[in-house]
Amino acid sequence: MSEMNQLETPEVESKPKKRHMGIKTQRVISNTIIHILLVIMSVVWLVPFVCIVLQSFRVESTWQVGYIVPQKWGFDNYIALTKTDFFTWYLNTFIIAVFTALFQTIVVLCMSYTLSRFRFRGRKGLMRFMLIIGMFPGMLSMIILYRILADLHLTQGNAVPGLILVYVASSGMGYYVSKGFFDTIPKSLDEAARVDGATRMQVLFKIILPLAKPIVIYTILTAFMAPWADFVFARYISMNTSQGMNVAVGLYSWLNKDQIAGKYTTFCAGGVLVAIPVTVLFMFLQKYYVSGVTGGAVKG
Amino acid sequence: MATVKLTNVKKIYDKHVVAVQDFNLEIADKEFVVFVGPSGCGKSTTLRMIAGLEDISEGTIEIDGEVVNDLQPKDRNIAMVFQNYALYPHMTVYDNIAFSLRLKKTPEDIVYDKVTKAAEILGITDYLLRKPKALSGGQRQRVAIGRAMVRDSKVFLMDEPLSNLDAKLRNQMRAEIIQLREKIDTTFVYVTHDQTEAMTLGDRIVIMKDGYIQQVGSPMDVFEKPVNLFVAEFIGAPKMNIMDAELIVEDGKYYVHLLGAKIPVDGFKGELLKERNVAPGKIKLGIRPEHLTLTAEKSEKSFECQLQVNEMMGSELHLHVVLSDGEKMIARIPTINLAPEQRAGLVAGCTFCITAEGKAMHFFDAETEKNLIFD
Amino acid sequence: MTKYTELEYLKLSKWRKFLYKIACFFVGIPGWFVNLFKKIGSAFKDFGISVKDDFVDIFTTFKNGDYKTRLSFVIMGFGSIARGQILRGVLFLLFELVFIVYMIFWGGYWISMLPSLGTQGAIKEYDPIYDTYVTTYYDDSFKILLYGILTIFFIVAFLYTWRLNVKQNAIAEEILKSGKPLKGTKDDLKSLVDEQFHKTLLALPLTGILVFTVMPMIFMILVAFTNYSGEFDGKNNLFSWVGLENFNQMLGWSAGGVNYAATFGEVLAWTLIWAFFATFTNYFLGMLVAMMINKKGIRLKKVWRTILIVTIAVPQFISLLYVSKMFAQDGLVNGMLLDWGWIDKALPFWTDSTWARVMVIVINIWIGIPYLMLIATGILMNIPQDLYESAKIDGANAFQQYTKITLPYMLFVTGPYLLTSFISNMNNFNVIYLLTGGAPTNAAALSPGGSLGYTDLLITWLFKIAINDSKFYMASVIGILVFIVVSVISLIVYSLLPSTRNEEDFQ
Repeated sequence: MSEMNQLETPEVESKPKKRHMGIKTQRVISNTIIHILLVIMSVVWLVPFVCIVLQSFRVESTWQVGYIVPQKWGFDNYIALTKTDFFTWYLNTFIIAVFTALFQTIVVLCMSYTLSRFRFRGRKGLMRFMLIIGMFPGMLSMIILYRILADLHLTQGNAVPGLILVYVASSGMGYYVSKGFFDTIPKSLDEAARVDGATRMQVLFKIILPLAKPIVIYTILTAFMAPWADFVFARYISMNTSQGMNVAVGLYSWLNKDQIAGKYTTFCAGGVLVAIPVTVLFMFLQKYYVSGVTGGAVKG
Repeated sequence: MATVKLTNVKKIYDKHVVAVQDFNLEIADKEFVVFVGPSGCGKSTTLRMIAGLEDISEGTIEIDGEVVNDLQPKDRNIAMVFQNYALYPHMTVYDNIAFSLRLKKTPEDIVYDKVTKAAEILGITDYLLRKPKALSGGQRQRVAIGRAMVRDSKVFLMDEPLSNLDAKLRNQMRAEIIQLREKIDTTFVYVTHDQTEAMTLGDRIVIMKDGYIQQVGSPMDVFEKPVNLFVAEFIGAPKMNIMDAELIVEDGKYYVHLLGAKIPVDGFKGELLKERNVAPGKIKLGIRPEHLTLTAEKSEKSFECQLQVNEMMGSELHLHVVLSDGEKMIARIPTINLAPEQRAGLVAGCTFCITAEGKAMHFFDAETEKNLIFD
Repeated sequence: MTKYTELEYLKLSKWRKFLYKIACFFVGIPGWFVNLFKKIGSAFKDFGISVKDDFVDIFTTFKNGDYKTRLSFVIMGFGSIARGQILRGVLFLLFELVFIVYMIFWGGYWISMLPSLGTQGAIKEYDPIYDTYVTTYYDDSFKILLYGILTIFFIVAFLYTWRLNVKQNAIAEEILKSGKPLKGTKDDLKSLVDEQFHKTLLALPLTGILVFTVMPMIFMILVAFTNYSGEFDGKNNLFSWVGLENFNQMLGWSAGGVNYAATFGEVLAWTLIWAFFATFTNYFLGMLVAMMINKKGIRLKKVWRTILIVTIAVPQFISLLYVSKMFAQDGLVNGMLLDWGWIDKALPFWTDSTWARVMVIVINIWIGIPYLMLIATGILMNIPQDLYESAKIDGANAFQQYTKITLPYMLFVTGPYLLTSFISNMNNFNVIYLLTGGAPTNAAALSPGGSLGYTDLLITWLFKIAINDSKFYMASVIGILVFIVVSVISLIVYSLLPSTRNEEDFQ
């Protein structure tokens, strides 16, 4: 008698052997169901965007209507945009986005590279400290930052440089994702380069940065996209001065109770114009975004 | 405890990539069968088809007389040990081993008995409450085996279970698997790329290449009677030396013409050549390194060679030599037969003569590479 | 309580195992607290020791030092200059000079005013000559508080630099005594791109964080203890310290008077409910979508994924504002439903409190799933395939594979992510503000400012109080309370997480 036979127990359940539906049939059925669900989902996700585009071409009414396809098509809403400050806002936002993307990337890379690669005194404490101040609602700082920027004459009409300054200055806090990336680059590469006689700075520029292209692009992309959507801070800093608004603040003002009836479709047209460049850029760099997001969540 | 029968099994990926070709094999009850071959030969795919992890493109697989093509893996009553162990990282060792039992709604006290019993056999009782991450490679391996053990399955499948262990541990685990087999006493199908494992573990070895079965047989069979050049080279380490030679017949006796030497093929091999009436001509000649011997002087039966590298293995020397036609070969010479001064003379660059006996020779067709006397 | 050995423990029934674990947990609590206090105690002790050591160190440096070192105690950098480390010395000296000048001309004033936040406010006087009121400005509480904080920063920095200067002298003497040459200015500059490269890299980012994040944070924390508001803005009307008065009002510690404890509780409860649903609906549905797309045999995987990803690219304010209007009383959805005759009167998407709350959660799912789908896809692909194969052989069906393998694995890996996402949902200003602006209004609630609505989170409430009504002190109080809630949740979750991964593991 083998030892394992002693382990054998009376069958717990002595169901008659049932023959399952073939593996393949089962799979076909479940896959069909999933395909149907995916189609439904895609429709739900895309409908609002299709609506917004269609309504931007609607001529017959500038207010909401109970149907999707316009009865009369035309570019009236886009022409109407030219008579507003829309393109000032657009330019503002574009300038902010470009400069923020540039400087923020530098700041974030400095921060994350250092925290990933150097083991200096107070490093752990610094990271913990930043984690803790990150829990404090940043919105409150708006009040005082407004006063400081006002003293520097960087509010209202001059909000653009003010906003760039504030975005960039606080961006060091968002180092997690790229630090996670740097952590995955083997430390032995640094060590090999140091043994070969490179200074720390040469290691960064000659070894790490060339390898970090995905995360650099991810950082640039997210930094570039954020200003297009920032609404709270930009609104407070520009303080009702059309000259200093970005698109989000400007377009939001059209949805006020007193403006919405006349500006609703114009809002749609503006929204389309804002969404197009950002979305196109995003589609091109999608793969970097995906790798940044997925990597960041696991390592964060 | 069951037989496994594969009939004309084929695996085709993406409609034209063929991974397994027309696989026919009958595995007897309680037999230990090893699939062996280089990577990409289809051995793992075949195993996974038996397990139900891959669809079977054509043919049938029967376990215990029942066709299982359409059965889910869990209904096939098999157990499997994976190459990377596939231990559930979030469960303790105990929970890992108990997982399948609990899925079958086995009462907890029976689960306890079975798991602790298996753990005892495998010597992992002390680690039952640990997570896999806290275990060493060998311990993880044991847990993986334990998980398969408690299932009391008809067939025990193992997919390269030792390939992630270091050399020393691998030898130890190999011995343990042999012991384990006596305890579990069920049908084993074992996949490996390592011919030593195959030779030491298997009752029968299935040698595969490019999706085709090359040879099925006992370890001794495949070693002594390789059906073709591939099997001959694959089994045995260092691998068999293959040379171009000519088979000639003189006075009804077979000789091998090799680099000016004329070696008579006597013994049973000569009989077999005669019996089969093998036509003389160009052949591929195979001689295992351990069947080569050094001779003092040049004779008709020996040929000259020059030493390139002398590897001292302790009980024997591996002599890498180059022949007069530029071919290379290896000879394994037991050190015990060499006088000290003889051994000292074996330095790189020296020349000497070697020979082999006819009964140690393997004859392959120069074109088809098939064995001329065994099939 | 009996302690079980491992084998005894394993033999227990499921139920008893569970009880045993709970018992162990409770038995462990006192020890946990003891440990915590021990840790705190030893931290204090370490701190005390290091302060003491510092003083001893300074003293011995002075006692054993040569005249260069001793003079450096008063004239910073003297020793360094005298020993040929020009750059260091000059920087020390410059810093000292700047500090002294600043303290004499400005710093002294700000510090001295800090306790009172200003004594003389603006005076409005009638000017009979021009027949108008003229305002003369004196102290500005806002500036006093702001520059007071900066001056304290400066003093701390000075003390640190002074200590550094003393230490530099001690080190230099040591090196000279051992007969090695000192590092000159050139070496100092070189080390900034090599051994000390991290200082170069961190200088700018950390300054930014200090000035634009830390300083405002400290300022706003202090504001909670003042009556800074639109009315008492510091310039026209001085504001002053009020102690815990604002907290009294918000949390209702003091009997009588107005307190907002009930409202705070209500908003906090909704914030937590919202954060819970927003996080977990997205998490599970996102995972589900990812699994559906990743399933073997699903075609056009790339298409489905791209459709979802595109929606991430469109700036949120467009999509949220548009969707918000779509569901308005006179919006597209109600219009179409009325047209088709499915309903008789418009559905109260944003006007009924329950509808509105459900709607924000549902629309948040629409916003969040693409993002979660991406994350889940990444992790799902990392789950070793053989775990599933093994489970299949072990007899797990699709659902069991999900609950026993996929889910634990996902939770295991994404634990910290779930926590951060819960917290960022608690502070998810955009979704609420752009969708509903907090509506529908909760007329019954007592709020120190702004109109409080049923969908208002703490963060939007805070925004309304601060921006619409300029009651900055109340906004600060809420901010501090949010901070406390968030940090308590984080602490608890972190201590419960199965493993805080070691960052070196990845290298």
